[in-house]
Amino acid sequence: MTTMTMPHTLSTRQYFGDPPLMIMSMLLLTFGLVMMTSASIEVASRTYGDIFYFFKRQLLFLAVGLVMGGAIIMNPMRLWYRSSVLLLFISYLLLVMVLIPGIGHKVNGSSRWISLPGFSLQPSEVAKLFVVVFTAWFLSRHRELVRSSLRGLIYPALLLAPVVGLLLLEPDFGATVVLCLAVMGMLFLGGINLFYMILAGGILGGGAVLAMVTSAYRLHRVTTYLQMMQNPFSEDVVFGDGYQLAQSLIGFGRGEWFGVGLGNSIQKMYFLPEAHTDFVLAIIAEELGLFGVMLLLILFFAFIARALIISRRNEESGRLFAAYLGYGITLLFLGQLVINSAVNVGLLPTKGLTLPFLSYGGSSLIMCMVMVAILLRIDIEHHLYTTQPRAMPPQHMGEVR
Amino acid sequence: MVVFTVIAALLIVICWKLADLQVLNNDALQREGDARTLRKEEIVATRGNIVDRNGEPLAMSTPVVTLWVNPQEVMESPEQAESLAAAFTSLGLDAEQTRKRITDKAASEFLYLKRRVPPAEAKVVLDRKLKGVYAMEEYKRFYPMGEAAVHLVGLTNNDEIGQEGLELAYEDWLKGTPGSRQVVKDRIGRLVRDMGVTASAVPGNDLVLSIDSRLQYLTYKALKEAVALRHAKTGTATVLDARTGEVLAMVSQPSWNPNNRTSRNEEGLVNRSMVDMMEPGSTAKTFTATAALESGKFTPDSIIDTRPVVIDSHLLKDPVAYGPSNLARILAKSSNVGASRVGLELGHEAMLDVLKRVGFGENIGTGFPGEVSGNLPAHDRWSRSDTASMAYGYGFQVNQLQIAQAYSIYANRGIRKPVSLLKVNSPVEGKRVVDAKIAADVVQMLEGVVAKGGTSVAANIPAYHVAGKSGTTWLYVTNHGYDSHNYIAHFAGFAPVDNPRVVIVVSIKQPDTSAGQHVGGGTMSAPVFAQIAAGAMRILNVPPEVPGKTIHAPALTVPRPPVVDEPDADEAPPVLDEVEVGSGNGVTQR
Repeated sequence: MTTMTMPHTLSTRQYFGDPPLMIMSMLLLTFGLVMMTSASIEVASRTYGDIFYFFKRQLLFLAVGLVMGGAIIMNPMRLWYRSSVLLLFISYLLLVMVLIPGIGHKVNGSSRWISLPGFSLQPSEVAKLFVVVFTAWFLSRHRELVRSSLRGLIYPALLLAPVVGLLLLEPDFGATVVLCLAVMGMLFLGGINLFYMILAGGILGGGAVLAMVTSAYRLHRVTTYLQMMQNPFSEDVVFGDGYQLAQSLIGFGRGEWFGVGLGNSIQKMYFLPEAHTDFVLAIIAEELGLFGVMLLLILFFAFIARALIISRRNEESGRLFAAYLGYGITLLFLGQLVINSAVNVGLLPTKGLTLPFLSYGGSSLIMCMVMVAILLRIDIEHHLYTTQPRAMPPQHMGEVR
Repeated sequence: MVVFTVIAALLIVICWKLADLQVLNNDALQREGDARTLRKEEIVATRGNIVDRNGEPLAMSTPVVTLWVNPQEVMESPEQAESLAAAFTSLGLDAEQTRKRITDKAASEFLYLKRRVPPAEAKVVLDRKLKGVYAMEEYKRFYPMGEAAVHLVGLTNNDEIGQEGLELAYEDWLKGTPGSRQVVKDRIGRLVRDMGVTASAVPGNDLVLSIDSRLQYLTYKALKEAVALRHAKTGTATVLDARTGEVLAMVSQPSWNPNNRTSRNEEGLVNRSMVDMMEPGSTAKTFTATAALESGKFTPDSIIDTRPVVIDSHLLKDPVAYGPSNLARILAKSSNVGASRVGLELGHEAMLDVLKRVGFGENIGTGFPGEVSGNLPAHDRWSRSDTASMAYGYGFQVNQLQIAQAYSIYANRGIRKPVSLLKVNSPVEGKRVVDAKIAADVVQMLEGVVAKGGTSVAANIPAYHVAGKSGTTWLYVTNHGYDSHNYIAHFAGFAPVDNPRVVIVVSIKQPDTSAGQHVGGGTMSAPVFAQIAAGAMRILNVPPEVPGKTIHAPALTVPRPPVVDEPDADEAPPVLDEVEVGSGNGVTQR
């Protein structure tokens, strides 16, 4: 209770959020920037004649992310709480827009981007956060309903179903999976009846299987994946869709304990497509070895653990919206991290998912920073709440009812 | 708690997989990686040079640059189109056509832009630093003697592999063994890292020929002029070093410049000294005379009747009556009747014996591709006409180098020395095949051939005595027989007579007879012999025997004076139409 003795005003001005979380996210961003640049220089130099093309753009996104993050840290969480339903509808809107030819912009057969001057917006990245915000709002507002009635599951499910459907239409199966896992996790942490939970899981699982079987390209990826499990270097695989994964695995294999050295990757020399986006982990493994990857994973999991702790503190102090939002964001990070690294090492079939903080991509990076800013804001508000109960009455947040 | 358990489980699964991939079972992955990146680059080994006896190059490999493009990369950089077009033009390529060639192959990653460009020209293009334009070092074979030596030296193909001539015969000796080095390459084929040389390149060996380029060029020039003057179809000349048996010059016509490959001419590549078979004609009377002296039935002074004679119901006569003649006169006048009478008196075995000893019917063994060994007749039953025609050079086949070898035996007064296309460094040990006295007697008769009254006065040169024998061989035309309009004019001889340095054989085949000109070896080939011999004396620095003036051998003392001075007297048809000849000899029916 040392903080109690400090001048209140000074305390509020000095606290910018949980220092470990801030340091860890800064480390991740720095590390990511270095490795993304290393992985991209060959492609950048050949495509744009500037080895730092991707670095410069990522730096710009980072600056945008810092500005947006700063704005979020400075504004109260109740803004999010109040606009959560609006944000869900904005998600609908964005996801519909991306499907409209002319607005949406097709790459490799999927419409995942909306072209803006100098920048492509990936609505699924935005939708993931907005849906989580909505779910947190629903869970905090209708906590009892969720815990006692099937309606507590059905209502949010009905509201979220359009998002899932729209994501599958793009198609962006990876984002769908991450989002569903995060929402499920939030429901679980929100205390949903375990039976409903299993029911929902069953429906989603069945839906996922259906989604795979009905889409030729997803089915193809799965069969390729099954072939890979047999022999990742059979001709069918290497000359087919498994090429990317085969090259990724070679990257891991070449890395050994300490890697071939920063900048010395060979896989990034046009062997591994998307080396600087979805497969940046393979390049890290090749250049820095098992040691480097483990260090990164430990840092990542520490970051996730820290985020969980922050969210848990809020739950304990009854600030449920902040807590559920924190959980949701943490689950998004966790899902992206686990699925991306599992894809990289060949544990899961290839899908287009970025590695948070590390992969090149404006939407992904900016949304990561926005989510970190939210976590920090949650922590700041929790700090204020516990140190200056009168300065920020709980009823303003509306959770404690 | 559940959440942490799940997270820990996920972490463990991923870490286990990572350890498996990166440390525990990474061998297969690294092998697969190496298979995609490790490349063996060939280090080009230079091919050995071919040089003449004085070290002058006859074939050499010069570094050139082959320019190639990666069409994919070129297509990716449309902004450099102008510079690219300028580069094409500087290479002498049609810019529009080349651009189309690249566009047609847009999906591929390799296309020759221009092969074997001089390094300076390539540098101009490479200095433009165009994307997708690459250089490759290669060697190009260059033949300094060009068409003057192509028949002997031969040539290689674009990949520097011997295709013809000595380039082909000595392929294994000349070719280098390419080395290799291991490199790491990226997916678009650019060098990432040089892992070092795994095998160094071993250059090929130089080949030193016995040819003297100065003499080769002189011979070439003399022959070419004569062939052009006589509108002959082909011609060939061989110069041997009388002391060592080395070939000093060997040329053929027509010819073709191997440095300019735009129009390859197979005819211009044939080495007619070694590959073409022909009947020696009257040049073989030298050997008949040798057999005659060896037999003891004739002496240089024996008188032989040269009146027309009927052999197997054919009448054989000389163009003009020479009257009773000794052997020297028979050679000097090239009397077919006289030679036939001598031959019939000797029998075929005595003549065959001499022919075999002086090297006919036997491959000289230079290893030259396509070298023929010729053939001596092997009849079950010898008719009189078979024996008679052999006495004046029909019915058996030889190549020109064999004639040169046979005459070198007389130059060495009976010693046969091995013929070589390669330079011989140690003194050559010969083998006596003809008695020294007999050989000397025959040489004296050969001097008579070029003396006043002989067939080949034109063979004489200033300041040196020469000896030799002309010959005019009618060609056997399939289904037509021997034909006076198709013949080869030979002259074989050596100089100087007393201490011979060079043996020279000149053969001019199928000169144009349409204008009624019909001249034989003594008129057509002997002057070429003289031209080559005079040049050879100068080039080989042979001290003159009679400084400053043309000399002629003294006129022959014969029992009866010559009837007419008829230089072309040795031109006579063979006695028989059905003389056996190989298919390689005759010209085909026109």
